Amino acid sequence: MDEITEIINITADPYAYCRKYKEETGKKIVGYTCSYTPEEIIYAAGALPFRLFGTNEGIRLADANLQSYCCSLVRGILEEGLSGRLDFLDGVVFPHTCDSFQRLSDIWRINVIHQFHIDLVLPVKLNTASARQYMIDVLEKFKKDLEHALSVKITDAMLSDTIKTYNQIRALMRKLYAIRAQRLKIISSRDFHNIIKAAMIMDRGLLLKSLSEIIRQMENAESDKIKSGAKRIVLAGSVCSHPDIYDIIENAGGVVVWDDLCTGSRYFDGVLDEKVPPLAAIAQRYLDRPICPAKHAGLTDRGENIVRMVRESKADGVVFLLLKFCDPHAFDYPYIKEMLDKENIPCMLLDMEEQLPAEGQLQTRFETFVQIL
Amino acid sequence: MITAGIDIGSITAKAAIFEDGKLLAAKVIFTGYNAELAGQKVYDDVLSEAGIDKNAIAKIVSTGYGRNSVKFADKSYTEIMCHAAGAHFLNPHIRSIIDIGGQDSKAILLDDKGKVKNFVMNDKCAAGTGRFLEVMARALEVNLDDFGAMSIKSKQPSKISSLCTVFAESEVISLIAKGEQRQDIIAGIHESIAARVSSMVGRVGIKEPVMITGGVARNIGVVHALEKKLGMKIEVSPYAQVNGAIGAAFLAASL
Amino acid sequence: MKKQILEFLKTILIFSFGKFKKFTLHFKKTKTMKDMMIVYYSEAKSARLTGKKVAWITSGGPVEPLIAMGIIPIYPENYGAMIGASKMGGGLCEKAEAMGYSSDLCSYARADIACATINGGPLQGLPKPDMLVCCNNICGTVLKWYEVQARYFNVPLFILDTPICHTEYTPEIARYVRSQFDEYFAFLESACKRKFNYDRLNEVLLRSFRTQVLWQEILDTATNKPSPMTAFDAFFHMALIVTLRGTSEVIDYYTALLATMKDRVTRGIGAVPNEKYRLLWDNIPIWHRMKWLSQKFASHNACLVADTYTSAWCGTLKYVSGDNPIYSLAEVYTRIYLNIGVDEMAKMIIAMIDKYDVDGLVLHSNRSCKPYSFGQLDIQRIVEQERGIPCLMIEADMADERSFSESQISTRIDAFMEIIKERKETSKK
Repeated sequence: MDEITEIINITADPYAYCRKYKEETGKKIVGYTCSYTPEEIIYAAGALPFRLFGTNEGIRLADANLQSYCCSLVRGILEEGLSGRLDFLDGVVFPHTCDSFQRLSDIWRINVIHQFHIDLVLPVKLNTASARQYMIDVLEKFKKDLEHALSVKITDAMLSDTIKTYNQIRALMRKLYAIRAQRLKIISSRDFHNIIKAAMIMDRGLLLKSLSEIIRQMENAESDKIKSGAKRIVLAGSVCSHPDIYDIIENAGGVVVWDDLCTGSRYFDGVLDEKVPPLAAIAQRYLDRPICPAKHAGLTDRGENIVRMVRESKADGVVFLLLKFCDPHAFDYPYIKEMLDKENIPCMLLDMEEQLPAEGQLQTRFETFVQIL
Repeated sequence: MITAGIDIGSITAKAAIFEDGKLLAAKVIFTGYNAELAGQKVYDDVLSEAGIDKNAIAKIVSTGYGRNSVKFADKSYTEIMCHAAGAHFLNPHIRSIIDIGGQDSKAILLDDKGKVKNFVMNDKCAAGTGRFLEVMARALEVNLDDFGAMSIKSKQPSKISSLCTVFAESEVISLIAKGEQRQDIIAGIHESIAARVSSMVGRVGIKEPVMITGGVARNIGVVHALEKKLGMKIEVSPYAQVNGAIGAAFLAASL
Repeated sequence: MKKQILEFLKTILIFSFGKFKKFTLHFKKTKTMKDMMIVYYSEAKSARLTGKKVAWITSGGPVEPLIAMGIIPIYPENYGAMIGASKMGGGLCEKAEAMGYSSDLCSYARADIACATINGGPLQGLPKPDMLVCCNNICGTVLKWYEVQARYFNVPLFILDTPICHTEYTPEIARYVRSQFDEYFAFLESACKRKFNYDRLNEVLLRSFRTQVLWQEILDTATNKPSPMTAFDAFFHMALIVTLRGTSEVIDYYTALLATMKDRVTRGIGAVPNEKYRLLWDNIPIWHRMKWLSQKFASHNACLVADTYTSAWCGTLKYVSGDNPIYSLAEVYTRIYLNIGVDEMAKMIIAMIDKYDVDGLVLHSNRSCKPYSFGQLDIQRIVEQERGIPCLMIEADMADERSFSESQISTRIDAFMEIIKERKETSKK
């Protein structure tokens, strides 16, 4: 598929894509760090929301600002900022996520010169009336900050249009997941992963077109059953920017059917209500969508969510991809494991850094786990 | 006035004799498991090398991790202070020192009078120290002393990404199995150590001229890799390994 | 059953002992810290018998409403410091790791989570909470930690969400936090099944503010040369302002302590006998090495005259509004030292360097506390640029004694002091 080839080119060198995009369209690019960023507002402002994923280069510069007991995602983002490789960005938005990201925002503000720097201090609690109000308040403030930074006016009409676009995109991403969960051979894991990653990087209008076309072709393709015997796995974690993981799991006899990842289903879950004022709709979606461990709704929401996900996707087991030094996820793991144990759902924990451990080690772990399932 | 400096490191013990601002003799021996005995022995050795009697020595300063084991020293200073003094003696223009020893590595920033302005130490992790190189030499079955010369021959250094010495060793073994050339692997090892050290240096800043001290300074491959990484020339003194003892002897003269 | 009776008797004994001590000390000017802590923990442990409620609360949480409602506040972080000081942190953390909690998580949290399951630590466990109050002004870890305990103890959890003020305290934040205080009072009403007593809260607040003023005065005595106290003294005496601010016993204690310090100043008595060098400490103390650190610095004639940790308990006095103290609580609890931007923290450190005339800065790079430790490298650079004084970074952990390399840290302190001595000598010439 040409669309997939184009997507693979984008994810192969996102920075080159951005530079070309800026040249061709004259539009601005705004970097962001977390799925809680209301990118709808950025897009409505006519800018490209660009997800920051850490670094492939190894940490050299960031050591001077962040100690080693910080996760490689945060250190990696700082590394990219300090290196100058992100100089094409017109600005960066830092939503409140966790302690490490919180300090990254300050350190970035002190050390990395970019056109603008916006802090978006979202509520941590998501299940009270006052949090709801505060969410709307900070989105209002964010809209104003963005208008000022990009010298544009963001009208309700622009937001409403964006909401429609994003609802379509997210519906298609969900469909992509659903089709693949049933017909795994229809698209390779690597391609699948690249599409998801590209969704956070590329022009969203082009994304919508590409997704529509990809799904159209998938639906018309020959029916293809899952390789019988392949064990169905749900991934749970934060950011997974390693396409290799999917290949390794497949080689070990497993297959990823769904996920609770920040850069996976948590990115596209949740519909924007087109019948209420746009900012309220955006606030509602970010308050109600499946929760990330850095936020608080109920005490067992996330565990229940994962169990439900396993049942709905008919998965055989769960693999936790835990980024080393990620506190919110590490605190959640024991109780979710306990819930899975009660439901007789096997699970495995994999400690990750941005640089994957030796392939042999991973292979061994996954093969063993698949045997257990 | 004749003074002596004794530097008890984790792997080697060094001693130096000074007379009126001139280095008379220096000696290196293995520390072994008894720091106190090592201190006595290296002191006796350097005295006989210089042909000087114990009683002629006015003051003695000890340094290094075993500095408090040298009971007969008049004073002990940390190796940071002694390396600074030693480098300043060897070249008063030096503003930064990178010291890579057996078990730790440090970066020291000097002011224009040769006094320590700031310093940073990596004392938690073997990667970036002499120990890292020893482990690798064993894995490659190459004499550590040949590392420098061999790495110069490399045209394409291997990439070693593991941060941990133990895992880097596994990585090297798999590189050997893949058929990569020894000189390329060694060059890759040197680049790895240079990356770790330059990372540490970044925390304290660096100002030219730079001198490298400590045993690893004898490895021309590491020096070149560091120069490439930092983008600056690094001075190597023939007395690099005994620099700490030299500094100690020098400081003894001001006691 | 027998075990329960024994436990009960033990508690009564400790409690009576405390009361007895209280009685005998009536003749002394003031109670000692130890006595007050014994009474405090005994009362908490026997709360079930006396019909009082116990709330666990975070160190940065608003305790005054609890005191106003007669609820006994317990601080798992304070217990964490005691666990660290008793060198029990490593063992408890190991237990938590066996329960599935990563070894990279905060050692207070790990120790407490393990403690709760085995009644561990120096007091054989904390009294069970009837409710949990979590304020995330200090970090995001407490949110997760208290979620774990809420599940474990199956008790109501109140979260006070105080958004971080990177560069400003916005009207949005003010509005949000103020409405949460109303929710907090409602939560306490529901937990205690009686109306919230606003008058009583005002009384308690006045006492709390008075205590904070006293504490600031005590810390200010360290501006004298020689300083009558060190930061290590402050780390010891802070327990009361953390756990029991708002009570009158604490005002008595600090009034007496201030008098003692002022007396020492008059008589020129320094905490370090031969004070030559004055240092500032940043971050939570290394609880398991207080004596060692104290002696180490004293051996260099260095006095840690001030620190950023103890001063946090009087640092937001400037936001107290006399007209409407309850209303100003939102700002007082949101704009604490850890809930502001790194550059703001650097400014406060520089102000302290000037106020206490400090020769060097010691930064504890604390593995367990990211909001406090991330940004220290930039703070160090800013301090070196703005004030040109040497800075030393010590990598350790506040409560886990396994994360401490004595000989390396000893060398670093020695080298740091060598630089400071050298500079002082040069500046004299």
